[in-house]
Amino acid sequence: MAWRLYALDLPWQEAEEALLRGSEPEAFHLLEESWEARTAPPQPWPEPLYFLDGRERAEALISDGERLALLGCVAAGTVVWEGGRMRLLPPVVRRVGVGLEKPLAVGELAYEPVSAVGEGLEGLQEGLRQARAGLEQELAKELVGGLLVVDGPVRAVREGPVLGYIKTHWARYLPKEEEALLRALAPGERTPAFRVRRQGMELASWYLRLPLPPEGVRPPESGLLRVETPLQGDFGALADLSLSLFPALASHPVKDPRAPQNLLPVGGLERELARRMGSREVVARMLARHLGR
Amino acid sequence: MERIGVVLGSREATPLEFWVGVEGEGLLRLDDLVVVEGYHPKVGQVRYFGMVDHVAKAHEGENFDTDTFLAVEGKIPVSLAYVAHVSVTRILPEEFFPPDPGSPVYLAQGGDLELALYYEAMRNQRGSTKLPAGLLKNGEVAYLNLEFLNGVKGGHVNISGISGVAAKTSYATFLLKSLLESGVLEDAHQAKVLLFNVKGEDLFFLDKTNARLTEEARKEYARLGLPATPFGSVAFLAPPKKEGYLPDVDTRLEGVRAYHWDLVQFAQRGLLPFLFADKGALTNLGFLVVHVAEKLRRLAEKQKGPALLVEDWPGEDLPEGITFDALGRVRLQSFAELVRYLEFKLLGPESGEGEGDRGWTARQARGTLEAFVRRLRASVENVGHLLRGDRPGNPPDPLKGEQVHVVDLAKLHPQAQMFVVGALLKDLFERKERGQYRGRVFIVLDELNKYAPRDEESPIKDVLLDIAERGRSLGVILIGAQQTASEVERRVVGNAAIRVVGRLDAAEAERPEYRYLPASFRQRALILPQGMVILSQPEIPVPLLVRFPFPAWATKREEVLEDNSAEALRRELF
Repeated sequence: MAWRLYALDLPWQEAEEALLRGSEPEAFHLLEESWEARTAPPQPWPEPLYFLDGRERAEALISDGERLALLGCVAAGTVVWEGGRMRLLPPVVRRVGVGLEKPLAVGELAYEPVSAVGEGLEGLQEGLRQARAGLEQELAKELVGGLLVVDGPVRAVREGPVLGYIKTHWARYLPKEEEALLRALAPGERTPAFRVRRQGMELASWYLRLPLPPEGVRPPESGLLRVETPLQGDFGALADLSLSLFPALASHPVKDPRAPQNLLPVGGLERELARRMGSREVVARMLARHLGR
Repeated sequence: MERIGVVLGSREATPLEFWVGVEGEGLLRLDDLVVVEGYHPKVGQVRYFGMVDHVAKAHEGENFDTDTFLAVEGKIPVSLAYVAHVSVTRILPEEFFPPDPGSPVYLAQGGDLELALYYEAMRNQRGSTKLPAGLLKNGEVAYLNLEFLNGVKGGHVNISGISGVAAKTSYATFLLKSLLESGVLEDAHQAKVLLFNVKGEDLFFLDKTNARLTEEARKEYARLGLPATPFGSVAFLAPPKKEGYLPDVDTRLEGVRAYHWDLVQFAQRGLLPFLFADKGALTNLGFLVVHVAEKLRRLAEKQKGPALLVEDWPGEDLPEGITFDALGRVRLQSFAELVRYLEFKLLGPESGEGEGDRGWTARQARGTLEAFVRRLRASVENVGHLLRGDRPGNPPDPLKGEQVHVVDLAKLHPQAQMFVVGALLKDLFERKERGQYRGRVFIVLDELNKYAPRDEESPIKDVLLDIAERGRSLGVILIGAQQTASEVERRVVGNAAIRVVGRLDAAEAERPEYRYLPASFRQRALILPQGMVILSQPEIPVPLLVRFPFPAWATKREEVLEDNSAEALRRELF
């Protein structure tokens, strides 16, 4: 039996930062001396400086009577800062059908098969997430030299230095007493680096405070960014560099609801990726026309 | 063909207008001409020709205006969008369906440019009718279809623009140069030009080389196919000084002839109404004017002039200087005397409550008669030196002698200016009507708003309307100019097939008279530099912005190239 459209809108949950599970404040291990706020003199940005980010979008749930499959679109792109300009490298956009066995053509849209990760709807959604992560990996491999900044946790080790930054903090890494320092951090200051272990990776991580104009009384977690890098080489220098990097690229609350943690170049990249994925409405209409109801 | 971009899909593309996205290093400017190829399986290949009338650049991907600062600092990626709006001038074949977004857009050059601007259609059985009218932005020659200028399909030119920078006169003279010397007008050697000089003495050096003519300008003339020379055959006519017979000019001292009418010519040609030109036409007064003019004409029948002879002037009122001639008549030797004579005929002798000659008064009330006489008396000071009884008249005759006649009006009182223009145009038009001259006659008249005002009636306006409406079939072509077309009689402007706009006043540009210009051109008319005009002609649906070369003829005294050759000195001395 042919694939038929099951639903265009699915109950979509915000992707949890699943990878953060399993972090335990009890195993807290300080990597730099004395737990107190640190600053660093301004430093020039290394060139080239890459910002990598990806997006995923579920477009439809289809069914052939027995199984479900999720049609979606994943995209990843890189913005590179070079010669004083932020330039967009050609992004990659791919349409994938999670749970399909062979490619599916819907009008002009072609969905490549991708296997689900786990059972049921959640497994399909996880498959889509992994497809996105895979695409990001692909792009990351092509980037030569320079410093790579990825949106989210560091998932793989590359040859050059890499920084991951986490915008929202679901997991706790610090014991109670140490957490007090987070509230005391002023914009442009960071905590000393500490060790994070995750899925076989050893990472150095630290928190830093972004400026949040206009200055004023804020909840203590506003403007807090957690940055991490594989525990190798001179992570201390990277930590100091991050103080010159992230605050300068912090977005403005007037323009971005995720300010200041959503970095300016990444915000631009996300807009661009959304554009390249095509209009949600147009895609939905094509799917509806070709797969029926 | 140089590919410049693609038809945009983010904005609507129609058969008449579309947007172009400019690619990479491409350069697309206002007035550039482009060509797009479209295809439809049922129609086949269609080519769209168009002109760029709007160009814009913007940062894409910016949500806020202040994002530009971030883009400049290199904090967010943006892409530069460079777009242009194209007004379609032509579709070949005429299948009005829109081009596909994404279709490649090319710059129109050479043959494509000719197609885009309908140049290839500018021809008749005898050959090309492409009259050089200036240079386009891209350096190519802009053409007018002569058939819309010489009266075959249309005629008349109207030029608008504020004084000083709009270069109305300069463009008019450039057009004349092109008409007379480009070789496109077949009977150019027969064509005559009547140029009215309304201000300064600018036009008094049309026959002198301009000392400031640069090598570059010479090249432009060469590209236009015109000789970079002054006008060859020009007569300069100026009114006489109020005392004596010398021409009243300051800057040019040789080669200027004084012109005036004698009283017999004045009466025979029925020029009296042109003295009342600027007055509103009170019905009774207007009637009386026509009546008296007719009486004067009969009086002057068979007279030779210059003085007008009358029989019935009473002896006692005779001023000195009036003498009886052999025929027993009184000789009127000046316009002032003619006025006094008319006063006598209309109101009777000065002494006593006499009555005028019933044959002349035409049963008009005394008040009307008095108004008539009052106005006539007031005009003595203004036109007395132009209407004389003591010398045979020699009014300008543009149909004889030199090809171009420059008639100076600059120093005349407005009433006298009216009179000269009216009298000359009437005479000229009547002679053309009677078929007395075969060649074409081009009349250049500035300040049309004065001679053919929108709201008032006047005998000159009637003549101009006549020329505007019937002139082209008779070979009388009016090249009219004014600061504000909105103040000129609609039918005079409306009959002009070719319209030229120089720099405009902002308020003026918004008037309905300029609606034929696309909005972008109305905007640009406000900032047009000197030497550039917007040219509209019936065949091309978009106006052209053209630049015309610096005059090869002097436009003021200082520009005259002194001729110090031995030959010139010899001519001067012997």
